[in-house]
Amino acid sequence: MRKRGTPPNRALRARRPPEISPPVRSLPLAFSLSSDRSMASISGTVTATSVRPRLTSRAPVVKGFSGLKSVSFSIQRNGFPSVRLQAAPRQRRFQVSCAQAKPETVQKVCEIVKKQLALSDDTPVSGESKFSTLGADSLDTVEIVMGLEEAFGISVEEESAQSITTVQDAADLIEKLVEAKSS
Amino acid sequence: MSWLLRRNMLPLHSNSLARRPFASPLPLPPASLPSPRETHIWYVVPDELKDASLLYQYMELLSPCERQSVLRMNGERLQKGALLARALVRTTLARYTDGRLSPKSFKFQKNRFGKPEVEWDKYDLWAPPPLQFNISHTSTMIACGVTLDLPIGIDIEEKQRKTSNNILSLAHRYFSPVEVAYLKTLADPECRQSEFIRLWTLKEAYVKALGRGFSGTPFKDFTIRLEASNSKQVTGELKSDAPSIVVEAVDDPGILMNRWQFALFELNNSHYTAVCMERDVKNPDGENNSLKLEVWRTLPFVEDECVTETDAVKNIIR
Repeated sequence: MRKRGTPPNRALRARRPPEISPPVRSLPLAFSLSSDRSMASISGTVTATSVRPRLTSRAPVVKGFSGLKSVSFSIQRNGFPSVRLQAAPRQRRFQVSCAQAKPETVQKVCEIVKKQLALSDDTPVSGESKFSTLGADSLDTVEIVMGLEEAFGISVEEESAQSITTVQDAADLIEKLVEAKSS
Repeated sequence: MSWLLRRNMLPLHSNSLARRPFASPLPLPPASLPSPRETHIWYVVPDELKDASLLYQYMELLSPCERQSVLRMNGERLQKGALLARALVRTTLARYTDGRLSPKSFKFQKNRFGKPEVEWDKYDLWAPPPLQFNISHTSTMIACGVTLDLPIGIDIEEKQRKTSNNILSLAHRYFSPVEVAYLKTLADPECRQSEFIRLWTLKEAYVKALGRGFSGTPFKDFTIRLEASNSKQVTGELKSDAPSIVVEAVDDPGILMNRWQFALFELNNSHYTAVCMERDVKNPDGENNSLKLEVWRTLPFVEDECVTETDAVKNIIR
């Protein structure tokens, strides 16, 4: 029985952040399962939602993919305790690593990377994506760095640029440089 | 291999799987070892691979670790490219062992800078040839260069490759002052574009030959140019005193690093290709002889074609 005040699943889907499509079974770009796999959160520009997915037996989690296209989950109605809408600050951080870059920064880096590598819109690119597995060669990497410098108004030194292997690395470095610049 | 099918990672037609049993690969024709002045180049054009069962054969050649790396690539096209690259390296090296080593049996390690090299086993009655190799790929071609005991670097780029950033911005950032000045002399933007790409491939080939890669050898620290100092452009024409490609340190201009020799050419009408090889100084003629190339187009286990004296290899500058 649903608790008062909690919306039905139908409404939940309707209030889903715009970038999640198609419905529930596929994941938005900036999403990763937390370490205990029982709890995941989806954040977007419109609402912050916390749900409890249950991994179905037909949808094994595939390790080693930089994108998470192959992971799927479904929200079961039986025994599903409640669905709560939570405000963003209270939700568990959706990034497992110690990275501190804001989602918007990661998102922007993803866009620049996708543009440089001419990846299609539905290619999954996330913080964990490695440039090498996305098919970037050294010329692509330097072009990406220059694109990021232009977009964020920063200047990246060669030594720092060499240490960037993932989108997350780039986002973290950008935020560090932006902060250093403004302080 | 059926798990590959379930994950939909290989482009398969159902009839190709039903009718063809999983055949063992045909033996690779043996190849003669490169001479001390030679670089052998074997290249694959991924689009020529129409038979999906070949992908299974190639996958069988890889180590478990390599398979994992292939599958980590983002998307089918990149996975196929990564698979072909490993298959190309293994089959190419196997050709030079006179049938004694199979492609599957090779092991690889990385030098302290991260450059992949062969890890040779010890054999009682046979010494494997001290082959050195390097690969380069684009989405439309994969090339593997092989030498006998001499460091080698190879880089290929599509002739049509366009940069998102302005050529001179890139050059100012990453090239040496001499190289920037050279690019500035080229008024025609297309000419500037293609010269930038060719210079990039030369610089890449050099750092790969050194073994330290892009991060270990900053592009800004060295200049690659033609030795004739008043030559304005790298052309395809051979003159009687043809200028040669040389490398020098920015901090030490005029001291040419003679240890390294280069070749720059067009491959398959589609790619600029640069090769950098260490000069064989043990050979008394080594100082004066330029780099010799032998080139094959291949689809391992299907077809090999020597294209050295053909139109597939042209506009060679050394």
